[in-house]
Amino acid sequence: MKITDMKVAVIGNAPVVRIITDEGIDGIGSGQSMKPYQKPMFEFYRDMIIGKDPTNVERVMLGIRRMGAFKPWGTAVSAIEFALWDIAGKAAGLPVHKLLGGKVRDRVQVYNGVVRFERKGNEPEHYAESMQLMKDHEYNFSIIKQAVSFHGGMHGDIDDFYYGDPVFTGRHPDHPNRGPITPQGFKYMMACIEAILDVLGDDVGLALDCGPGMTVSDTLKLAQELEGSNIMWLEDTVNGDYNPYVQTELYKQITPYTSTPIHTGEQIYLRQNFVELIERSAVNVLGPDPQDVGGLAEMKFIAEFADLHGIQFAPHGIFGGLIGLAAQVQLAAALPDNVIAFELPQAKPEWWLDIMDGERFAVKDSHIDVPDTPGLGVTFIPEEAKKYLREEDAGFFDN
Amino acid sequence: MKITDLKVAIIGGAPIIRITTDEGIDGIGAGETWKPYLKPMVEFYRDKIVGGDPTDVERVMIGIRRWGAFKPWGTAVSAIEMALWDIAGKASGLPVYKLLGGKIRDRVQVYNGSVRFPMDGKEPEHYAENMQKMKDHPYNFSIIKQGVSFHGGMQNVKDFYYGTPVDIIRYPNRGVITGKGFKYLMARIEAMLDVLGDDVGLALDCGPGMTITDALKLAKELEGTNIMWLEDMVTGDYTPYVLADLYKQVTPYTSTPIHTGEQIYLRQNFVELIERNAVNVLGPDVADVGGIAEMKFIAEYADLHGILFAPHGIGDGLIGLAAQVQLAAVLPDNYIAFELPEADPAWWHDIMETPDFSVKNSHIEVPDTPGLGIRFIEEEAKKYLRDEDADFFDN
Repeated sequence: MKITDMKVAVIGNAPVVRIITDEGIDGIGSGQSMKPYQKPMFEFYRDMIIGKDPTNVERVMLGIRRMGAFKPWGTAVSAIEFALWDIAGKAAGLPVHKLLGGKVRDRVQVYNGVVRFERKGNEPEHYAESMQLMKDHEYNFSIIKQAVSFHGGMHGDIDDFYYGDPVFTGRHPDHPNRGPITPQGFKYMMACIEAILDVLGDDVGLALDCGPGMTVSDTLKLAQELEGSNIMWLEDTVNGDYNPYVQTELYKQITPYTSTPIHTGEQIYLRQNFVELIERSAVNVLGPDPQDVGGLAEMKFIAEFADLHGIQFAPHGIFGGLIGLAAQVQLAAALPDNVIAFELPQAKPEWWLDIMDGERFAVKDSHIDVPDTPGLGVTFIPEEAKKYLREEDAGFFDN
Repeated sequence: MKITDLKVAIIGGAPIIRITTDEGIDGIGAGETWKPYLKPMVEFYRDKIVGGDPTDVERVMIGIRRWGAFKPWGTAVSAIEMALWDIAGKASGLPVYKLLGGKIRDRVQVYNGSVRFPMDGKEPEHYAENMQKMKDHPYNFSIIKQGVSFHGGMQNVKDFYYGTPVDIIRYPNRGVITGKGFKYLMARIEAMLDVLGDDVGLALDCGPGMTITDALKLAKELEGTNIMWLEDMVTGDYTPYVLADLYKQVTPYTSTPIHTGEQIYLRQNFVELIERNAVNVLGPDVADVGGIAEMKFIAEYADLHGILFAPHGIGDGLIGLAAQVQLAAVLPDNYIAFELPEADPAWWHDIMETPDFSVKNSHIEVPDTPGLGIRFIEEEAKKYLRDEDADFFDN
């Protein structure tokens, strides 16, 4: 089998790739829904994969892997890998998890980073009310993630949260504001977290997305204050999110000194860039994103590598969309026991459910059943999907 | 002063940027000649910088730096930084080096990685003849770099290594070099060393693709010779990672200098290499690392750890050359030489007004013209603009 073309379209703001073969089987992959600007970069890889056998996934990847990089520049490589697995699965008549070593579980756990309700204000009681709504959600989430500190925009919500003037206000992706948190800022943050913990009690674990932007000592202070509570992890406190580097040394000054789990990794591309974090046990939980890290097989290796060092795995995935969700389910089924849960992506806009056929991935008690449909388990309904294609992408479903 | 627009055009294969301001001053920057595909990515940054004050270079950079990554994804950020310095220099009437702490040398050394002659064959005598031509070149280079091993295409020689080359150009083949392959490699290196004698230092671009033990074996065989450095043996070139631990198994055990770094983006990604003394020489590229000021910090940081600095730059073109000259003038004494970029194609000389960048005895004089010291001759440059870039010089 040979790859004959690779097509790219922006659908609902997500860059979506479709790889076509000489045997009529196609495969799909996608980047996150906030990366429409990646479309030209997907096209960059076309000539490097045409003519290759998509069912030898790794051999195709060898030719493009080195041309990716940290988030968002690993997206195209990762999405192409999804599509290759989709083809390989369909060609073999097998779900992708069978090609990743086989499933070790029949349902996979998800955590809530995406189901949100409007918060009526910035006081602790507002955090509590909003958390109550998430706790009561029909998905019955076992872990809920909440943004606080610099990740939650607290430096814009209250005066004097930290010693510094924000370069950008709010949660701005272009620059992570950073600096030491003031005593009053720290009290405010703790009050909000405690209000949330009270709501969740022993029923649901709380993960906190905190930065980047916190100092090493503020992070350790927060982690130590939260010892003994049901905190699942503190995420991206000193580094992460979109930073194009790792800075293992910073985490090494925190993780060994607290029992509160420390988490990072969503922006990191390829296993080689996890070596320091993993081999030096610089964090307790890793959360790479399959759409940024270089794909599903790359995720699987990193999870097993982390497991050798007692590190847990909680993949990032909030903006993965329906295709990303399908991929996460296949992957999570095959990961070792260090997997906790992946961040549930949602079909957004909701018409994604109208334009795709196949699995619906219903969430019950914070779990999704692993499907056995070949490939990733979802396919486009071209006549429906065409309604949402941009003019320049009109040929996306043509062979 | 405020940035009003960021324009990008592909000129002779290179992504060229032009930042315009509300005070009529503009600045230019460039990516490497072989990266035309980056044009849409340069445009990605436009909205993030428009409205910013280009003379507060760092403040503008804070908003875009995290949106770059390892080569080639740091190019746009780097080129924008060059253009900001160009504006800041012109606005103050100062050459960029004055804004970077001031020059500590009046001429800067370059090495030859770009002046090439066709090889008549692959035998040792062909490597020698070819090296003789480079040695005789009027630039009188003090250091000449040659590609060997996996960087020099030797993997395609029968039985050079235990492996079959993957037929994809972007993939660095790698594996164990055979006994025969190692002799083949050494014979060619020795032929070149004979030609250069004590007159000119030889740098060897070797990979990536060599194993740790082959790299150490080569380094040890070459001890006592005039090898300036062995470059990118185990990782580097385009690999999107560093793997400092691999170099830690080579560098401490040989007196032959070990070099890497051209693909690395930002200071944070140099921490392991520098603080663990994993290499002897670093060679970041100003058009990939995140810009001129980023390079300066990394050079000083390396200097704290006894690491030398020989910047990469073969594809940086005339604009990159201007930036390299300004930068090299201010670097600490761990600076050896930068890789001379050339005007590619040669008509770049017709479309730009530049100071005298002629190379004499492997050195270039540092000019005092404001900014990067160069500017487009618009009516000439327009001849080479693609249709879709026709308004590149309009305000």
